[in-house]
Amino acid sequence: MSSKLLSISISSLIKLVYFSRYNDSRRDDDEQRSQNESLDVSNSDTSQPVLDGRLHFAKFETSKRNDCLDFIRSKKLWLGGFHDCTAPSSDKIFIKVTGGGAYKFADLFKEKLGISLDKEDEMNCLVTGANFLLKAVHQEAFTYLDGQKEFVQIDHNDLYPYLLVNIGSGVSMIKVDGDGKFERVSGTNLGGGTFWGLGRLLTKCKNFDELLELSHQGNNRVVDMLVGDIYGADYAKIGLSATTIASSFGKAISDNKELEDFGPEDISRTLLRMIQIILVRSLT
Amino acid sequence: MDLPAYVSNQQNSEPESQISHLSLDIGGSLIKLVYFSRNDHSHRDDDEQRSQNESLCFSDNDTSQPVPEGRLHFTKFETSKINDCLEFIRSKKLRLGGFHDCTAPSSDKIFIKATGGGAYKFADLFKERLGISLDKEDEMDCLVTGANFLLKAVHQEAFTYLDGQKEFVQIDHNDLYPYLLVNIGSGVSMIKVDGDGKFERVSGTNLGGGTFWGLGRLLTKCKNFDELLELSHQGNNRVVDMLVGDIYGGTDYAKIGLSATTIASSFGKAISDNKELEDYRPEDFSRSLLRMISNNIGQISYLNALRFGLKRIFFAGFFIRGHAYTMDTISVAVHFWSKGEAKAMFLRHEGFLGALGAFKSYEKQSLMA
Repeated sequence: MSSKLLSISISSLIKLVYFSRYNDSRRDDDEQRSQNESLDVSNSDTSQPVLDGRLHFAKFETSKRNDCLDFIRSKKLWLGGFHDCTAPSSDKIFIKVTGGGAYKFADLFKEKLGISLDKEDEMNCLVTGANFLLKAVHQEAFTYLDGQKEFVQIDHNDLYPYLLVNIGSGVSMIKVDGDGKFERVSGTNLGGGTFWGLGRLLTKCKNFDELLELSHQGNNRVVDMLVGDIYGADYAKIGLSATTIASSFGKAISDNKELEDFGPEDISRTLLRMIQIILVRSLT
Repeated sequence: MDLPAYVSNQQNSEPESQISHLSLDIGGSLIKLVYFSRNDHSHRDDDEQRSQNESLCFSDNDTSQPVPEGRLHFTKFETSKINDCLEFIRSKKLRLGGFHDCTAPSSDKIFIKATGGGAYKFADLFKERLGISLDKEDEMDCLVTGANFLLKAVHQEAFTYLDGQKEFVQIDHNDLYPYLLVNIGSGVSMIKVDGDGKFERVSGTNLGGGTFWGLGRLLTKCKNFDELLELSHQGNNRVVDMLVGDIYGGTDYAKIGLSATTIASSFGKAISDNKELEDYRPEDFSRSLLRMISNNIGQISYLNALRFGLKRIFFAGFFIRGHAYTMDTISVAVHFWSKGEAKAMFLRHEGFLGALGAFKSYEKQSLMA
């Protein structure tokens, strides 16, 4: 059995990263089902031993954490934790974990898998992860404008400072000045959890992906109050076109329509636009 | 067309000449009216009580203006019920208070000062139904004129609200500018004010009164804004929102200064498979919505104040309605983000800034005789 290293990040989603060495070559059906990605890694940092292998990525909804525990157990990922040599019993296995669930679910992991969670600070991990990806992975960062995706060449000597905006259930905005040098400068309470939560209430979608898929066919102008709805035209003097959203969900105040009269795709689209715009405003 | 009840009860003895000068601010959700009656108008007005008017005694001490003595009246209608508004204007014969355009061939040509988007959108309707032409004034200009007027001319207009305590703010006329004016209507405009007539709309946000009312209506079936606001009193947002404590297992994320009760994700608990829309209480939805929108407005307002080095933020518009929880949430957000540096203040005549500003433009053109 080859050794594997596992680390986990937990909030609404449990994100796993685990590493397998190249002598472990069997096909893994479980990996396909959990929609893994793999990343070939060659660690060229001369201060570290050279590890050749693959990084694997998987995620589970936190509400389905038992599936996650089963996944870990079935792939025997728990064997790959590092042993705490100072502990009397050689069974004491630690796994690196970050995110709120590292605290919240510590007992569960202990109970069900006998694993202790070695907690790492969430902001620190986000920044370390970002810096690693930007420096070590080819074609990691890209721009997306007018439907065009363009990979960005990162100059390692000109990486800092930058703003990292992590959009999970909520949003954290972190100013990064170097390796291990950062400050969480802001955040907003309208994030992925808001989109999913409000979306579920208003459309009965079963999950995030379903909700997102719906938004493709949606028309937010049925639900939003636009500048044009208030002015009958542009408000040119202050540079607002007639199609600018003045008030998200502003048309839903109408007496004439109930929730059932709005298409779920229009609601989904409106939610998506609402959260996008607030995110941008919060970057002021 | 049906006439609202108060119009059919109107007393016929009301003298026509005593009410003069009407101005309108026709917004996305509400139409705000301000009109002026001179001091010889002393009988009780039942119509005014029913339409929840406020009156403001007005003595213009500005020596460059003739001094009109009288009362300013305030009232509002939902924009979707514009017919009621037209009837109100017709019934009070307020249209006679508009000014005549002496250059027009017909002496019937009456103009009323109007601002807001509806001044453009409903211009034809007013012409058709009341024979009134709307003299359009710019919305931002009117909001600022109205704000400056209230802050300088009205005693105890601005106040702070923190920890349930309301405190009026003494405004120093020589130290009024610059400030940030945040008008929360259907949507939100943020205006940097540097002086009389000197301002710039620097930002805005799409999460405003229309969002609260619209999302609230979809989630709770409330019939109107006030009903939704009332519900929020008994609400508990922690049932609906995902807090830092929910993510971190009941503890704070102290390292970055977030307490366990800080909202990490509004409506984040509603992702749960176990509950449907019907399983939640409408009070809790209302509270979460109010918190989400108020918090966000407080935060973005502060960011814009910071951008321009402004320490004073005045919040206006009918989203607030003197509602304690709303003011408290906005104040706490501003206080939190500014680390106590910036001050959130509210205005007693919150939703009437635009209509007042339009009203003041009668004076500017020396049309107040």
